[in-house]
Amino acid sequence: MNGIQILLITGVILVAVYFFVRLHNSILDILLLLAMVSGALVFIFFPNASNRIAHKLGVGRGADLVFYLSIVIFWFVILKLYVRIRKLEKIVTDVVRKDALSEAGKISSTDY
Amino acid sequence: MSSEEYYKETFIIIPAYNEKAAISKVLGDLSALGCVIIVVDDGSLEDIKEEVRKYKEVVYLRHKVNLGQGAALQTGIDFAIKQAAKYIVSFDADGQHSAADIPEILSPVFSGEADIVLASRFLVKGKHNASMIKKIVLKGGRWVNYFFTGLYLSDAHNGLRAMNRLAAITIRISENRMAHATEITAQIKKHKLRYKEVAANVIYTPYSRQKGQSSLNSLKIFFDLVLQKLFR
Repeated sequence: MNGIQILLITGVILVAVYFFVRLHNSILDILLLLAMVSGALVFIFFPNASNRIAHKLGVGRGADLVFYLSIVIFWFVILKLYVRIRKLEKIVTDVVRKDALSEAGKISSTDY
Repeated sequence: MSSEEYYKETFIIIPAYNEKAAISKVLGDLSALGCVIIVVDDGSLEDIKEEVRKYKEVVYLRHKVNLGQGAALQTGIDFAIKQAAKYIVSFDADGQHSAADIPEILSPVFSGEADIVLASRFLVKGKHNASMIKKIVLKGGRWVNYFFTGLYLSDAHNGLRAMNRLAAITIRISENRMAHATEITAQIKKHKLRYKEVAANVIYTPYSRQKGQSSLNSLKIFFDLVLQKLFR
């Protein structure tokens, strides 16, 4: 086993443990996490496997294939997060607005 | 109905964020009109209420956190609708608009000629003192506005507007920040509201120049618009 493999495996296991501690409430989350971790471990232990898949898809190296796929996945994640933020923003707006409107009467009658 | 009665049923909404230095003069100028005035304090850090308190008839609403001008405007409109307002005017807190333009922009709404009137500093020459860069940005803004809404306005981002109750109820602002100006235009088009542009002054004082939006902010508005198009 060479250095990079040790580094990557340590990283993957740390991330997996962290997520497991945080998200152990849903079975689906755990299955997804297990699938991703085992996938990552397989490709770290057998780098040639990713090379073979890459060749089949017309990409020169396995590492390049992983790189291209990660870009697409990151875009997807960023957009999902953006939608989530917009939703949260709408909720905050509704709450703050409701509060402002309900306080309106009080301020004009008691404060002045 | 005399014009005085029309003004009594008119609500002027002033979204304010840290405009303590300017708002007192704005309120003073406006109070002569006899309209109901609503200040929506958008989570200001400055104590705007202290200034507003000097004008007993002014209604003060406060967002507990800062949400943006679009959100503040919508809160004011919600309040006005609840109070049975017949006509609504939006007015910037920094003193860039002139209270003397209000009768002019309200008159097509009073007469029933238009559902919404949008003030424009570019309709007639000599109505503004914007810098060269600001002018270029604003004039570019009308094309962006046209591209997103299909409505070509001579001054897409002017905070001074007048509308009747129908327009106030129909238009819902969901863009909390500055892209709300474009959103309003889009909804005018979508709901086929009758609109009109009327020339009005925009005077930038050193204060409002420093407080107002920088020209760079237009890029932020642009991205808000693009993302909104993608996700609605």
